[in-house]
Amino acid sequence: MTYDFDAMLQTIKDKQWSLADIEWDAPGAETMTDELRAKMQPFLADLVWIEHVGARGFASLARKAPTPVVREIYEYFHAEEQKHANAELALMKRWGMLDEDGSIPEPNINVKLAIKTLDAFGDSLPLSALATLIPLLECALDGALVKFLLDEVSDPVCHEVFRHINSDEARHITVDFQVLELIGAGPMHRLLVESASNLKPQVVLGLIVVFVPLINKMRDNIVAMGLPEQKLYNAVKRFRTIGGRGEYTHRIPAYHVLKAQAAMVIDRSHPYHRLLADPMVKVTSFVPARILGRPQTWVDEVTHEPVAS
Amino acid sequence: MKILYGDEWRAFDLTGLSVGVLVPPDQAARIVPAVVGSARAVKVFQDSPVWVVPVAVPRVGPVVSLARLHLRMAVRDAWTRRLLTPGRFGSREVVVSPSYYRALEQPHCKLVAWPVYAIVEHGVRTAEGIEHRLDVLITANPLGKAKAA
Ligand SMILES: [Fe+2]
Ligand SMILES: [Fe+2]
Repeated sequence: MTYDFDAMLQTIKDKQWSLADIEWDAPGAETMTDELRAKMQPFLADLVWIEHVGARGFASLARKAPTPVVREIYEYFHAEEQKHANAELALMKRWGMLDEDGSIPEPNINVKLAIKTLDAFGDSLPLSALATLIPLLECALDGALVKFLLDEVSDPVCHEVFRHINSDEARHITVDFQVLELIGAGPMHRLLVESASNLKPQVVLGLIVVFVPLINKMRDNIVAMGLPEQKLYNAVKRFRTIGGRGEYTHRIPAYHVLKAQAAMVIDRSHPYHRLLADPMVKVTSFVPARILGRPQTWVDEVTHEPVAS
Repeated sequence: MKILYGDEWRAFDLTGLSVGVLVPPDQAARIVPAVVGSARAVKVFQDSPVWVVPVAVPRVGPVVSLARLHLRMAVRDAWTRRLLTPGRFGSREVVVSPSYYRALEQPHCKLVAWPVYAIVEHGVRTAEGIEHRLDVLITANPLGKAKAA
């Protein structure tokens, strides 16, 4: 338990990059064919929203970080996920995937529900639950989605952008799991009390209603676009492997819950899909977006412009 | 971009300029209301927030409740209020300013809570990957530099 979070914070500060470092008009955009553009546009729109919602997740984590240094790291990660969303939006712009005003495409109803939930409950979720969910999503993003994108797209600017993003993500995943070790090393009663007391039944139910269909819809969308299921499987395996390497992570109840959940999500033949996830995707598709009201203003902050005046 | 240290901004005409304020929160509460009237645009780069009360109160009991109420009433946007709310490792400092939030609420004033990682030729770069272009940056005295007159 001697991980040096101070040194990591310093590395994070040293490795900052900006959209202005990228030459967005450099040659290579022509490698995006019409066929590829049509296929990748919805994928990238989803990706931008995942980064953006992930950013909001780090904002909540920063509020409950176990130490001031971890809090500062999370504040940087909050900003870096936003940077990823901004950079991916700038790629969409480069490839002619945005409409006139250059704004991010509307998210689907499941993303809207997730935004609403994070605004309402994000800051009151137990640390261990949120701190476990984030590395699972990061493993999936990093291991499956980004690899898929880089396999499909040959534009050198895209590869340059993702060299930066991947280097950020490697640090995210390192810290995510080191924080799990820190939490897991705490007293057992605190882990249990924390998970039990904050997780009121209506919150658990809310989380299931929001995240089960969200993850499943994305899973199926992305597999339909051609992502090999093997990549999803590898991503979840990575979560299990890194978590299993830790000395204390296995003491966190949320880790076991999410590990089991992830195993069901990737196995399309598991009854979980037939009995729970598929019906919920269907039910939520009938939810009219207007009943959710206006989301908080952080959703308007994504921009493809490297420079703001 | 012109950089003004310490109190140098007092002697500088900011009319029509785009101004960044990168100072500790007690100074921001003093500087922002003073420059927001003349500047064309103001960006307030906030490291971490502190509680703000509109009037001085004895440092006992309900000062945080008063600060919360003040924030709730003075700032309309829920996300901005969250950015202005100190966290559990936040400073214990309480700043007295009747006009800071009102200044932040001006349409040409923007709170930027992203971490600042570099000051460059034409502006300030923050960790969400954006360069904020400015005409003038007001910042604290650099270490070792005598307080400007
Ligand atoms: Fe990311
Ligand atoms: Fe990340």
